[in-house]
This record gives sequence, structure tokens and C-alpha cells, in this order.
Amino acid sequence: MEQNDLSRYHRQYLFHKIGLDGQKKISKSRVTLIGCGALGTVIASALVRGGVGFIRIVDRDFIELNNLQRQVLFDEEDIRQGLPKAIAAKQKLERVNHQVEIEAVVADANYTNIESLIEGADLVMDGSDNFEIRYVINDACVKAGIPWVYGGCVGDAGLSMVVIPKKTPCLACLFQSEPPPELSPSCDTAGIISPIVNIVASLQVTEALKILMGKTDQILPGLYSYNVWTRAAHSFGTNAERDPNCPVCQKGIYEYLKGEKGVRTTALCGRNAVQISRDRAITIDFSVIADKLKGVGTVSFNNFMLKLTLKESGSDFEITLFPDGRAIIKGTSDIPRAKSIYSKYISV
Amino acid sequence: MSEKIIYLDNAATSFPKPPCVYERMEKFLREESANPGRSGHRMSVEAEASVERSRSLLAKFFGVKNSSRIAFTLNCTDALNMAIKGVVHEGDHVISSVMEHNSVLRPLHALEEDKMITLTKVKPDSECFLNPADIKKTIQPKTRLVVLTHAPNVTGAIQPIREIGKIVREAGALFLVDAAQTVGAVPIDVDKDFVDLLAFPGHKSLLGPTGTGGLFVGERVEKITPWREGGTGMGSESPTHPEEFPYVLEGGTPNTVGIVGLAEGLKFVAEKGIEAIRAHELKLMSALRAGLAPLKKVKMFGPKSAENHGRAFHFNRRA
Repeated sequence: MEQNDLSRYHRQYLFHKIGLDGQKKISKSRVTLIGCGALGTVIASALVRGGVGFIRIVDRDFIELNNLQRQVLFDEEDIRQGLPKAIAAKQKLERVNHQVEIEAVVADANYTNIESLIEGADLVMDGSDNFEIRYVINDACVKAGIPWVYGGCVGDAGLSMVVIPKKTPCLACLFQSEPPPELSPSCDTAGIISPIVNIVASLQVTEALKILMGKTDQILPGLYSYNVWTRAAHSFGTNAERDPNCPVCQKGIYEYLKGEKGVRTTALCGRNAVQISRDRAITIDFSVIADKLKGVGTVSFNNFMLKLTLKESGSDFEITLFPDGRAIIKGTSDIPRAKSIYSKYISV
Repeated sequence: MSEKIIYLDNAATSFPKPPCVYERMEKFLREESANPGRSGHRMSVEAEASVERSRSLLAKFFGVKNSSRIAFTLNCTDALNMAIKGVVHEGDHVISSVMEHNSVLRPLHALEEDKMITLTKVKPDSECFLNPADIKKTIQPKTRLVVLTHAPNVTGAIQPIREIGKIVREAGALFLVDAAQTVGAVPIDVDKDFVDLLAFPGHKSLLGPTGTGGLFVGERVEKITPWREGGTGMGSESPTHPEEFPYVLEGGTPNTVGIVGLAEGLKFVAEKGIEAIRAHELKLMSALRAGLAPLKKVKMFGPKSAENHGRAFHFNRRA
């Protein structure tokens, strides 16, 4: 089959809102996907099957058994082989569609590398699992003028939003910074059912197709929220008005991209532990957090600290959380690993 | 300084630095200079974050994707010594040139005298340019490392590192570039230029203070043996020095105040734009050449045109 043979996409471009011209544009497009977990696998699968020209899949994690319930590209054999998610996704998808160039990057996306990861992309897709990286993506994409599509889900509900820099509201127009830990459930604390993953990822991919075809007039702006259990749906900010005082898309102040905002990490001497602290002190209500963590491991707290012990991938971890948001993660000296544990159970 | 001076020793170290460098360093030293990565208190954590931001800026400047592959050093000499002594093994062949600075030649000569390595020094042409084909001819199966200056401090001739880097890469050896006279003044991209190790000073064209520099170590370098071992602020329970980057090369408390100053110098350079800086220097170089050319007693050395001429310019005036 020729590289420029589009016949395999016939059913897609037969749909009049795509058309052959639209397909040609999709097939020439370059996409970066940050995070290849639940949302990321569905997004990657749809974009590769739909025939984007190039996709860069960025993820630093390895596949675990409890991922298979919702992360559709992975199987038990990948776990036996100990594959990183990005590599396993690339291997699967190359068998699906050899016409798409797929690059796997096994790395922790953060402010130091995001600009090189999105370089040359026509679109950035969010398959990440924490707010800090989304603000980093928002900064980098607004700065580079690259559209990105936010997505997030937990439990039975999810959110999605398109950001077209300088045209539609950016993430910082809606929320100036990450939500507090008490209001940030994650799949690891609140669980998730797979239907919401597929719905949110499909919403993201639908907008992605419009963007890649250049049909920006058809993009639905604002934050869309959907609950698959109750079918409650809400839209926010659909009037497409940007915040006139937005530090990011109006003033060009990229604090997350410069590493000025975001969590701080430091490996603690001789203790097999990493300390995570926040760029500014917050006040945490331990009773709310303890309730959030009760299904995760053993939790106890007093006025001064909260302790959580848990098992993850066969290793024991102990998180000591202080009221200002600072935490000591014991059981690893690997900073990205500790950051990932903090973001899963406490949230960033 | 009340008296106005004309400072022409920028090849040794740049002067003056942009005001933002002085301001940032003073503020850091007065208010923020805790030991980075050694403790969990707020000041230490913020000092570490400042060092990491500086590292990230450098990475972006050289097209380095993983900023932890850049280690801070005392200066370019320190970085060159780390690189050379960290990657060669007994019996290796090393290629360099006769135009190198002592910070390259002395460590190489010492290793040669100790019978650790064999060394080939390639000669340039009459304009002081190396011919990539000459490098290719000298490569042996045992060649582990090729060490070359991006532009020598004597003649300023900018060397064809991209062509040479490609040859070195194809031969499976490592390519170490000494960017002492070019960093911040001539663009370098470690991927496009096939650079495995890049040694650079912070206090020349990057406009940082003295006591700063760095070494980029690419992914093709599987192991680099540190010659300075000690405290790193992580993995302290281990009896030996950690192998993780950048800690492997950063034993001991770093020059934090210098590093934050370097970051400001770098931001200044990035804001002006390296192409604009290069264009300005080319203009000055052309003016100088044009002025000297008619003088019979003056002999100019190095490149015959300004195009591949770096910052240093060598001429002699007969008595």
C-alpha cells in the first residue's frame, strides 16, 4: 500500500463533514499526545486509525495490571514484557496503520522539555493525569500558537475543552491555577469506569479532527462537562470570550513554562525519600483528604500531619502530608516517581 | 567605575555583564542562597528550583531534550577535563587538532605520556580550518573520542563541526566540542551538529559570571566516570557516588549564585537573539579587517573572510 493511498479512510471521508480534502489535511498533520493512559490510548488509537500523518506519544509510565480495565491499547503480554506505555502503544498502532509515522517518547513531560515535545506539531492532545502539566501545556501551546485539547475524567464524569491560542479562552482564562487537593479526586482515589474515558476521549478527538482540517469555525468553545451515569451535561464559557486579564494568553506571562509555578521536589539525603512542596503554601483540610484516601491505604492524621501507607506495583510507600501541602514520599528516591505518587493521591 | 575604559579582552571573559546579571546575583546572595538539594526547607527547595530553571534554559539553548544531561562545572576547562578523563579508557585512540587550547591538549598529552591513550593531532589548512576528510582519514577502529574546538581562541576560525560530527557519528566514536569561544555567539544544536559532549564556559559570550560553565553529555555516552566525588544531596545512603545525571558530575555544593547569574546572562543573549549578536560581531569584524587591510606593516592570520570567523582575531604589526 502506498503511503499516500487514502482508500483505507474511505468511510471517514465519505462523511460529508470530512470529505477527501479534509482527509488529505488530516493525513498531513502532526500531533503530539502528552500522556498515554486511559484517555491517551483511546485518542492515539482514534488518531492513528483516522490517519494523521505523524503522532508523537509521550508517557513515562510502565503498564500495570489495574490499567487494563480502561487503557485500551495494552494487554497482559505487555505487562509480562515490562513495556513502557509509549512503546507498547507504538508497537500496537504500527500494526494497525503503517502509514502513520509514530514516535514514542518515554519521558516525564514537564516545563524543561515540553517545548521540544510540541515542536512542529499542528495540535497537542492532553492525555495527562494532573493539572500542573496541563498548565505547562497551556503555557507552551499559547506561546507557540499551537491548539490543544484538554480532557480529564474520573469516576463517571469528565471534562473537555479546546484551546485555540488567542482565539478561544485558554485554561488560565477559566481557572488561574490548579484546584486544591480537596477538590481534586483522581482515578487512584475515586476510581473510574471505562465508558467515561471513551466518551471524553471521543469528544477530544472530534474537536481534533475539526482543528486538523482547519475547520476552526466549527469548533465548540468552552468547557464541556458530562456525566455518563446521570447523563447530566453542562457547558461553560461557550461565548468564547477570553479573560481580558489572563496572564497567559493576554499578557504572555508563562510562569508554569518557566518553572516558576508548580511543585518543587527534592531528594532527601539518606532517607530513600523525596520531599514535594508547593510553589505557594496552601491550607489542607486533613479530614477531607483522609476521606478521599480511605480506599487507597492506611490513613491516620492529627493536627500536624497526615500519614498514608500504600502499596503500588509491589512496593511500599509512606506519604507524610503537612497542612501547607508539603509531603514526604518515602519508599523512593526517584523524583518523577515521587511526583507521580503525589499527583495521584494528593494531586497537583 | 568612574573612568571610561575600552575593554577588548572578551575572548578571556566578557565585560561588562548585563545589569540583570548583577542584580539577580546580589538578590540571590542576600535573600535566597541556601544549599540546593541538601535540605527540605523552603529556601533550599527554592534554591534547587532556581538551579534547575537555569539548567533548563541552557538545555533549550543547545537543543538538549533532557536537561538533566547538562552538568554545571567551574568553567570550560573543568568541563573538558571531566569529559576527556570521564570517557576514555586504557588503549583508546583519540583524535584532536594542533589548534586546541591547553585545557584540551594538556589532559590529552598527560594521558598519552601515561600510555593510557594514543593521540593523533590533525593540522588545519592555511586559513586555520580543519578539513573533515582529514578527520575521516585518521579514524581507527580504536578511536573512542574526537575532541575539537568550535573555534580556536587564537585565530577564531569557526570549524565545520556539523560535517565532522557526522563523520564521527558514522564511525561510532564520541564527539566532544570545546565551545569556549563560540557559545552564545555562534549557534550550536547538539542534535543537528552530532555533538555527544559539549563543554562551554558561562562567563564568556553567555555573559554569566566567572566560576560558571557546563558540560552536556549526550545519550550515546553510556558511562562517564566522575573524578570529583562527594555530596550530592541524593542517594546519600550509597557508599559510592551516584550514576544519575546530573548528580554524577556535580559532587559538592554548586556555585548557585553564579548559576543564577548565568541564567540571566543567557536570557539576555536569547532575548537579543544569537543571530543578531553574530550579525553585529560580523559587522565589527568586517570593519576591523577593512581598516587593517591597507596597512603594510600589518599581517592578518586565520580566515580570509569574515563569514566563518568567530570572535577572536589575530594580527601582527611589524615594528
